[in-house]
Amino acid sequence: MPKSAYLLRWRVMDGLEALVAAIWPRHFHRALPYVMLLPAVLLVLLLVIGMIQIGDSSARTLDRSTFLPSDFYTAGNYQRIFTDGLYWSILWRSLLGSVIVTALCLVFAFPYSYLMVRTPSALLRKFLLIALFLPFFIGQVVRAYGWLIILGNQGVVNEMLGLIGVAPIRLLYNYPAVLFGLVQYMIPFAVLMLAPALTAIPEEMESAANSLGANWWRTFIHVVLPMARPGLVGAGLVVLTLSLTDFAMPAILGGGSQDFIANAIYDQFFRTSDQGMGAALTLILVGVGSLLVGVVFTLFGAGTLAMGRDRK
Amino acid sequence: MTQPLSKSIVIWAMVIVVLIVLSAPTIVVLGASLTSGNIITFPPDGLSLQWYAKIAMAADLRNAFLRSLAVASICTLIAIPVGTLAGIALSKYAVRFEHALQIYLLLPFTIPLIGSGIGLMLLFGEWGLLGQIWPIGVACCVINLPFMIWAVTASASSLDPDLELAAANCGAPPVATFFHVTLPAVLPGVISGSLLMFILALNEFLVSLLLTDARTVTLPVQIYNSIRSIITPDLAAISVVFIVCAALVIALLDRLVGLDIFLKSK
Repeated sequence: MPKSAYLLRWRVMDGLEALVAAIWPRHFHRALPYVMLLPAVLLVLLLVIGMIQIGDSSARTLDRSTFLPSDFYTAGNYQRIFTDGLYWSILWRSLLGSVIVTALCLVFAFPYSYLMVRTPSALLRKFLLIALFLPFFIGQVVRAYGWLIILGNQGVVNEMLGLIGVAPIRLLYNYPAVLFGLVQYMIPFAVLMLAPALTAIPEEMESAANSLGANWWRTFIHVVLPMARPGLVGAGLVVLTLSLTDFAMPAILGGGSQDFIANAIYDQFFRTSDQGMGAALTLILVGVGSLLVGVVFTLFGAGTLAMGRDRK
Repeated sequence: MTQPLSKSIVIWAMVIVVLIVLSAPTIVVLGASLTSGNIITFPPDGLSLQWYAKIAMAADLRNAFLRSLAVASICTLIAIPVGTLAGIALSKYAVRFEHALQIYLLLPFTIPLIGSGIGLMLLFGEWGLLGQIWPIGVACCVINLPFMIWAVTASASSLDPDLELAAANCGAPPVATFFHVTLPAVLPGVISGSLLMFILALNEFLVSLLLTDARTVTLPVQIYNSIRSIITPDLAAISVVFIVCAALVIALLDRLVGLDIFLKSK
């Protein structure tokens, strides 16, 4: 029985080889990597076509009498965005928020990542990894829901304050609550982008700095931090762009009063039904995001974000 | 190397803050789901599993969860071949326009989720695909594809190209070389990448929110819609479903490839 199974497998493999050789002769081999990349390129093409659609919609203003988008192209939507203070304040709120969130995330993710990479205890490392992955894998909505339970007016924190006789404080539906939720959401991303860069720093480097008389703080500033730059760039970029464009945290923890750009876009599509306006806002967000990524890439390189063979 | 005390204190203090902030929502949701009262209070009124019994009976929640599972499965099934082939191609071959291709394949990350979601919504709407489950799976696959490609390239770049030449030298034809040498080498990356794709698609919220309607609502969107009204413990009980799924995926990751894979320097 095992013998016949073997032979069948051989025959199947021979058949496969013959089939592959027939449809893909050897002299085509130079095209092979492109064929392998084709499905991925086609999938991402969906996004590109989607962006073109958005571009098309963004150039059509909504006709208020018929509630149909205009047939002709105009820059009306963009004009309205740039002259309306409301959008400027939303854009400013999102940009400022994402910068603050990025700074906080990097500061707190660094020691976590460092301890995780450097600890000699495999058990502690595993614990830190699990504590990191669990919230990462739970999803934003559930985490935001957890914060509603903790920070709400009848939430855990206020009930605890009540026990010691402090009146309830409004902890939710304000800017700090949104930023706090975002930091909590982004820390796993930051740690995971930092960790490979920290692993790449040989521990002997730190020992060497120590034996040359640097205390741990100076070692950190002059040795660890500069060598961790690819990780900091990768982590910073991911956190910056993800928090700039986040929807769920401002929606749930901001309670509608702390909208980020993504919330404004959603409202244009689903509340005001002004598709052109929403599309224009989307394109501006894509532009601002790409600009940020481009600036960081040209200044610092791709960091730990690079894929493929030549990593810097 | 022994660490100075002040350094340990600073590091541990910050790590403990992070640990508390990271774990608080999970723990509170778990606790709230076990309450015996009708509203969530602290300290809890008492322990009961009544909310689990309640959600087990709710057909809409069960259907939403099944739809989320379907979306995640479709996403993963597409991502495995697409991401594996692309990852191997990027790490093994000298591809022309490699830099441009990399930037292109990173588009799902550089285009904000709301942009991708709206773009796909307009596109799928035009093609008459809205209102079905599988386009949501495709969308989740597109937006997270770089994760899959990363995972595979990380494994593939540790594969010595001489091994494939050696296999060929020993008489193995291309397909046999692929299945016996290349694929086993990238398998850890494929496993970790597909688990990541699965759990991210299971949790995917914003793109699902844009692409679903009342008939195809997925569980995260369902929870989001219910959060708005009032916070009841049954929501906490559903959320525990996600916590359990996350724990399962972590256990699988640890078993199959080891969580340490994420710490490797590339």
